[in-house]
Amino acid sequence: MRTSKYITTSCIISNNTVSKDQQQLFRNNGEHDAAAFFLSVYQHFGFNYPKFYKMDNLSKLGWLAAEVLLKDFDKGLYKNDQVGILMANSNSSLDADLRYFESISEVPSPALFVYTLPNIVIGEICIRHGFKGENAFFIQEQFDTDFIAKQVNYLFDQDILQCCICGWVDVLSTEYKAGLFLIEKEQKEGSSTFSKANLDHLFNQKA
Amino acid sequence: MSSNVYIAGLGVISGIGNNVAEHLASFEKGEAGMADITLLKTRYQQEIPVAEVKLTNTQLAEKAGMPDKLSRTALLSMIAAKEALADAAIENITSWRTGFVSANTVGGMDKTEDFFAEFLNDPQSGDLQNVVNHECGSVTELVADSLGIQNYVTTISTACSSSANAIFYGARLIRNGLLDVVVAGGVDSLTRFTLNGFNTLMILDRQFCKPFDENRQGLNLGEGAGYLVLVSEKVAESLTKKPYARLSGYQNSNDAYHQTASSPDGTGPYLAMKGALEKSCLKPTDIDYINLHGTGTNNNDQSEGIAVKRLFDPVYPKMSSTKSFTGHTLGASGGVEAVFSVLAIQHGIIYPNLRFDTPMHELPFTPAREFMNGQQVNHVMSNSFGFGGNCTSLIFSKI
Repeated sequence: MRTSKYITTSCIISNNTVSKDQQQLFRNNGEHDAAAFFLSVYQHFGFNYPKFYKMDNLSKLGWLAAEVLLKDFDKGLYKNDQVGILMANSNSSLDADLRYFESISEVPSPALFVYTLPNIVIGEICIRHGFKGENAFFIQEQFDTDFIAKQVNYLFDQDILQCCICGWVDVLSTEYKAGLFLIEKEQKEGSSTFSKANLDHLFNQKA
Repeated sequence: MSSNVYIAGLGVISGIGNNVAEHLASFEKGEAGMADITLLKTRYQQEIPVAEVKLTNTQLAEKAGMPDKLSRTALLSMIAAKEALADAAIENITSWRTGFVSANTVGGMDKTEDFFAEFLNDPQSGDLQNVVNHECGSVTELVADSLGIQNYVTTISTACSSSANAIFYGARLIRNGLLDVVVAGGVDSLTRFTLNGFNTLMILDRQFCKPFDENRQGLNLGEGAGYLVLVSEKVAESLTKKPYARLSGYQNSNDAYHQTASSPDGTGPYLAMKGALEKSCLKPTDIDYINLHGTGTNNNDQSEGIAVKRLFDPVYPKMSSTKSFTGHTLGASGGVEAVFSVLAIQHGIIYPNLRFDTPMHELPFTPAREFMNGQQVNHVMSNSFGFGGNCTSLIFSKI
């Protein structure tokens, strides 16, 4: 059965900028290194999650975007297995793969190796928020919003999920972009109808 | 729309055989595929046993009908996918909407490693042709092109549950009327990247692995590919051969516990198995056999075992880990073991869990020790759990 769905919140992190619901929350043009910028975001928002420091850049980026996205999210509305995550990117875990590869020539690092899979970022977000619903990671050349919209529609219409975080998280060297969207059935103030067009609009807004 | 999804063809390659028939023979003889490393170039050749596919890239390329300069991942994938399609023997396949949903986690890493060795010595050297297909999706595209599948091609990468996710994702495409035929499963080849990585995690057994044994010491890595040809009801009716089984249930859940370790209470595995049972409208007592994830690591077998206990106690189905034969084929394991699960139904067989000796102290059940045939196997559960907490269970049912 077709259910109504809304993008109740969005978060975009790109070009040294963090935005939530199309409002810029933070900008730091001083950092050219992705990891340094991610750290400045973490510090700016006063997050306190020591595991953050151990993560690879892909997980850091996805974790930060989810943190901002879910700041006012009421977890109590859902059972933990009703919340799922659907993500995509084009560079898989290549950023972490390369770092791990460099470590092999000296002592291969288990701490780096555990991040050499793209879906670890989903795991990190699930661990942080206790989400246990269905999750999947797709590799695509570009953020295929039509594809993602179909997936999300299916998961809601088949009653598999009641709430879904979907989007794009990609890092390679100094290049990065995250766009996460919280999809729910209840309309909220400032939310937009869940559609490919609205995903495109929110994802491609200028920072 | 098709409410049922049928399995019309099977294809598999692993350390115990290059096709379905060779696998059945190895199972019956109880012959594991692990041995000293002979093909992978690594300093661990005499130290860590793995289950290699016993063919060089040149030999694989010949079987696959592809150039031998391609990644071993693509060659393995092609061989198993081709076998599955030939087995399904769908006439005029071009008249159906056909998709290829393939999972892998290493992509063309093997070739990238060859490139890096030269490149690190001299930044001006190294054959760039070796890195163009590094990316996981590239491997799928290469094989889809060779198979002539164009309607729908995608790659799923969710660690060791990748292939199981590819299979139920393919089933959904059919259920929703988007495709009629889907070749679904996955592949991974052995690389130094994964061998070194798992070695640093200190979960590789220096002996042959002993899944679900009290004294298990870790896993053995393997390589291979496994694919199912999934078809809609309409396609199934057009076939001269009866489909082997149907995919009756599936569930993916996140354990939400640790990046690489499973929770001690087996929450993710429990939710996956329970959800798959609900979807298939079956009771725990309906399951005749569980193909366990059973990697042989302390952590997985404990977590999975507790989850099985929570769901099945006090009546346990027969179960075993076929990783005691094939090693852990990582991203391919869900596809390889889906093939074994369907074969268990088709032939009425139960696979032994090799080298099992001492029951785990926290579990009231033990895995099957002997190869059994003549069994009534109506419903089989296949478990695949991956890093990132990604847990999937599939259920196959007799038609």
